[in-house]
Amino acid sequence: MDAQSRAKSGRILLILGRVALGVIFLVAAWSKLKPVLPGQSWSVSSVETSLAMFAMGVDSYQMVSSGTASTIAHVLPFFELVLGLWLTSGIGLRISSLISTLAICAFIYAMFSAWRRGLTINCGCFGQGGPPIGPKEMMRDGFIFLPLSIALVVGSFVVNRKPQSSSTGEAIPVAQTGG
Amino acid sequence: MNADANRGFSGGGQFGRASQVFVALALAGLLVTGTSSARPPQATAKSTVVAHKAPPTKATIATTAPTKTYGSPNAPIKLEIFTDYQCPICQVFYEQTLRYMISDYVASGKVYVVHHDFPLVMHQYSGQAARWANAAATVGEFEAVEAAFYNNQAAWTADGNLAKYVVAAMPKSDFDRVQAIMKDCTTPAPQVTTPGADPLAKSGTSCPVDQYIAKDIQLGNQDGVNATPTFIIYHNGQKITQSSGNVSWPILKQFFDTLLK
Repeated sequence: MDAQSRAKSGRILLILGRVALGVIFLVAAWSKLKPVLPGQSWSVSSVETSLAMFAMGVDSYQMVSSGTASTIAHVLPFFELVLGLWLTSGIGLRISSLISTLAICAFIYAMFSAWRRGLTINCGCFGQGGPPIGPKEMMRDGFIFLPLSIALVVGSFVVNRKPQSSSTGEAIPVAQTGG
Repeated sequence: MNADANRGFSGGGQFGRASQVFVALALAGLLVTGTSSARPPQATAKSTVVAHKAPPTKATIATTAPTKTYGSPNAPIKLEIFTDYQCPICQVFYEQTLRYMISDYVASGKVYVVHHDFPLVMHQYSGQAARWANAAATVGEFEAVEAAFYNNQAAWTADGNLAKYVVAAMPKSDFDRVQAIMKDCTTPAPQVTTPGADPLAKSGTSCPVDQYIAKDIQLGNQDGVNATPTFIIYHNGQKITQSSGNVSWPILKQFFDTLLK
């Protein structure tokens, strides 16, 4: 495979990776914001209820005060929404992928802390319900989401996403550093 | 009293002799039934009522389901809680959340709390604690005993002396009734082992309150409860969410407020 093909493959993988990670964050945001009451449709009121329910999940980690838990619960879903859109768009991928990596590290740390303290609570990562936090959930984040995010960071620095052309109009091999 | 009756009791005549025999037989019967401690529980309970005019018998109490609820069933929000009295997080939930909820939202008719026992096998005395609590509930002293158990959890967890805290939580007359129930609770108490397992497998049916604990355990298994505390929130009869672990009162109140709007 020549350099041009490798570069093209790298760009495609980068696109797939950022879209996949972006969708994961978008799904996480949607699961926390969607109406939780039976038969309820989307509204400001439904979002308030959903965020209040998510606050219970954050509070169950017993890592911060109830006030801070409420604040986190009201900010995090929108942060995930913005981050998901940002990653999917591909704009400023280096920064967005760095932020997503840090966020995933924080989530893994929170889950590990709760699990180590023997708390039998739901992850809350994708809404209410689901099994209690355990090795399976941490492995999901630690061996799938985190590597994906790290790969995006590395890829965003290494792979030039736009093909460069010479003064004669011919495509030239992409530099493997910078971009 | 007329002359005939006087004659009967004075011992004169056939009527008098018959009445004396009758009285003697009745007294003998009372003597015999009052001292018969070797009979099966059901017989003893009946004779105890007759001989000593004791409070309601074990059989009567056993048919009365314990009331382990707070507030009005008509409240728009219902909170079902599955707890274990020896569970540390349950204690935190009680101290930091339930107490405030009861004095605030339960008292104002916004929330109805239903308690279910879910004694985990990893906690040595949790099953017995559930028995005491259920027995207390049959005489209307559930709230006091629940508070006593959680307030003194560290102490009775160390030595298993639950009776000490139960007796201090209620009037003596109520404690006597509770103790009357508990005297037959000598087998291992029902506890949660594996889903589907019979909670009464080791406890049997001699303890009158075990059936209620078993019912709670089966309900919990049905609802997929796998930890304590687990709470299920209903709004206007519809299940909204099920969650386990502790949640502070301000956070829970915030959620209730969105439901009550």
